[in-house]
Amino acid sequence: MSAPSAHDVCVIGGGVTGAGIARDLALRGLSVLLLEKGDWGGGTTGSSSWMIHGGPRYLEFDWDTTRLSCVDAGHIVGIARNMVYRVVFIIPVLPHDKNNIERMETAMEVYDRFQPLKKAHPHVRLTAEEARQAEPGLSPDVIGAVTMEEWGVDPHRLVFANVQDAVAHGARALNHTRVVDLLRDGGKVIGVRYQGSDGSMSEARARVVVNAAGPWVPEISKMAGASVHLRPAKGIHIMYPHRISNFSISAESIDGRDLLMVSHAGFTLLGTTDDDFYGDLDSVDVLEDEVDYLLQAFERVFPSIRAYRPVRTTAGVRPTLFKWRRYEDELSRRYEVIDHSPDGADGFVTIAGGKLSMYRLMAEETSDVVCRKLGHQTSSITATRPLPGSESELEPAAELGRRFGISALAAMKLQTRQGSHAAAVLEDARSGRIVCRCEPITEAELVHVARHEQVRTLADAFRRVGMAAGPCAGAACVMRAAGIIGHELGWSASQRFDSAREFVRGAWLGRAPILGHSGWAQEELASGSLRGLRN
Amino acid sequence: MARADSLAKLAFAYGVHLTRRRLTRPHSQLAKLLETYAPDGIRPLLPEERERHPQLIGCINCGLCALAAGRLGTVRLPDLASSYMRLYARLEESASDVEGESPDLEAAAAACPVGVPLDEVAAIVRRLAG
Repeated sequence: MSAPSAHDVCVIGGGVTGAGIARDLALRGLSVLLLEKGDWGGGTTGSSSWMIHGGPRYLEFDWDTTRLSCVDAGHIVGIARNMVYRVVFIIPVLPHDKNNIERMETAMEVYDRFQPLKKAHPHVRLTAEEARQAEPGLSPDVIGAVTMEEWGVDPHRLVFANVQDAVAHGARALNHTRVVDLLRDGGKVIGVRYQGSDGSMSEARARVVVNAAGPWVPEISKMAGASVHLRPAKGIHIMYPHRISNFSISAESIDGRDLLMVSHAGFTLLGTTDDDFYGDLDSVDVLEDEVDYLLQAFERVFPSIRAYRPVRTTAGVRPTLFKWRRYEDELSRRYEVIDHSPDGADGFVTIAGGKLSMYRLMAEETSDVVCRKLGHQTSSITATRPLPGSESELEPAAELGRRFGISALAAMKLQTRQGSHAAAVLEDARSGRIVCRCEPITEAELVHVARHEQVRTLADAFRRVGMAAGPCAGAACVMRAAGIIGHELGWSASQRFDSAREFVRGAWLGRAPILGHSGWAQEELASGSLRGLRN
Repeated sequence: MARADSLAKLAFAYGVHLTRRRLTRPHSQLAKLLETYAPDGIRPLLPEERERHPQLIGCINCGLCALAAGRLGTVRLPDLASSYMRLYARLEESASDVEGESPDLEAAAAACPVGVPLDEVAAIVRRLAG
C-alpha cells in the first residue's frame, strides 16, 4: 500500500450531488478527493428522468420544495446553458381522471408563479381538438389539456462537467474506485481506505469525509459507526431510441399516479415507477409487470404506444429520506445535511435525500457545512459560474461540421455533449470518421473521452457520449468502439473482445424485459452481427 | 402542517380560477403554444405522419438500403432513417445535410428487411429540417 495522500475533504459518491460538492469545494480553494465505485453518474443520477424540473406535484405537499427546486433549476439552466433544452409537456385530461381540467389548470396557474425562476414559459390551455392538433397521437377520449414546461439534460454529461471543473480546480477524481473502510482515530473520521480499478488498496487522509453515496448512504454511514435511515424507492424507465413526439406527454396510471413520456434529444423516456425497495442496490432488475404498468397508463392517452419499439430499460433507486407509513409517491424529495459529530463521528458529514433538480443547492449547503467545520470562510460561486462547455455561445453546427468534414447533424450532436468545447474535441484526434452511426459519434470524440474523460469501459463510453444508445443498440459499433478505446487504453485483442462482450451482456439485461415482436427481430440481427458476444 | 397549508392555498387558487373562467371568454391558445416553442424546434407531426410514425422509425441500421441507393444529399440512407428521423429539436441546423438530389428511394425501400418507407422518411425529415 502506498503512502496515504492528504486532502482537506474526501467526497464519497460520484453521482450529481457528490460531483457538485467536489466542484463547489474545489472552487472555494480546498483540496478535494472524489471517489466513485462505478462510473460518474452510473447510479441513481443516470437512472433519473433526465429532467431539471420544478416539482409541480410537490405543490400538493410542500410549496417550499417547489420554490427551492425552481430557484436551483434556474441556476442550473444558467450554468449549463449548452447542455439543457426545453421539454414541453402536454397534460391531457380524460374522463374519470383524478383531476378534472379545471383542477389541472389551477395547478398550472400556481406553477406559473414559479416558472420564471427557471426561465420557463407559462402554461396554455388547449381544447381537445387543439391538443390533438399539437399531438395527433392523443386518444380521441381526451377532453382537454394544459401544457407545462421543464428542462431536459443528459445527467451523465452534467455529472462529468462537474467532475471536469472540480479537477480543473485542483481536485483529484477517481472513478471505478470503491471505498472499503473509513479511517478513524478514536471517535473522529480521518480518511478513507479505497480499492482502485486495478485492485490495489490505498488510503487517503481527509479533515472531513463527505458521504454523498445516494442510496448507499446507510452503508457508508455504518463504516463511521453512524446511522442514516432512508426509505429507498425503486424507479424504472422504458427508453425508446427516438423522440416519439416533439411534445412530452403525461398520463395517469391505474393507481392514480402521474407518469411521464419525456422527449429528450433524440430519444424518449417513459416512466416512472415508485416502489419501496429492499433488495440489492447493486443489482436492480426491471420486471415485466413494471413495464406493463407503464404501457397500460400510456395506452390510455397515446393508443399507439405499443407499436413503438423500445431499446432498453433503466432502473435506479432513489435515496428518499425515511418516513413511516406515507405512500411512496407522497414522500418529499427534500434532503438533509447531517453533521455526525454528535453521533461520535466527528469529521463525517452526510447528504441524504434530494433530487437531480436541486443538486447544486444540495452541494452548496453541504459545502457550507464542510467549510464551517474547517473554518474556511468562502462562499459558493456555483450558482453563476458556467460549467465547462457552457462558457460561450455555440458555433453554428453546419459551420463546425464544414470545418472538420463531418455532417451538420454529427456536429450538432457533439455540441449537445461537449458544448463550446466541440471544436477542441475534434482537433484532439482530427478523425471525423463516424463510429456509432445512429447517434452519430466520431472517432475523434471516442479518442477524446478515452484520453481526457476517464472512460475505462465501453459502458463508460455509453454514458459519456451515448455510444450504442441509438436504434441499432450497438450492433454496428460496439466492436469498432472497443478497437478505438482499446487502442487508447492499451488493451490487448482479447481485452477488447471481453470488453465488447461485457457491454453487450449488460445491454441485453436492460433490453430483455421490453422485447416485443419487432424487438426480437432486431435482436436476431444484432446477435448475428455481434457474433455470439452475448453468449 | 406544510401539507395542510399547501392544500388550503390550492383550494383558494381553485376558487379564483373558477371565478376567472366564469368572467372571461375562452380563446384559442394553440397558436401561442406553437409560436412560443418554434425557436426550440418543437413542432407537431401531421396526422398522416403520426399514423405512419411507428413504421417510419423501424430502421435497425442493417445498411441494405445504402447498397441499393446510396445517399440523400450528403446523408447515407441508413443514417437518414436511423438518425435524422429521430425528430431532433435542432434538426433545422442540419438542413444542409439533406439538401440535394434524391436517389431512387423506392428501390432502397424495397431492399429494407423491416419495410421502412424511405420516401416518406425523406419527406418528413426535409419538412422538419426546412
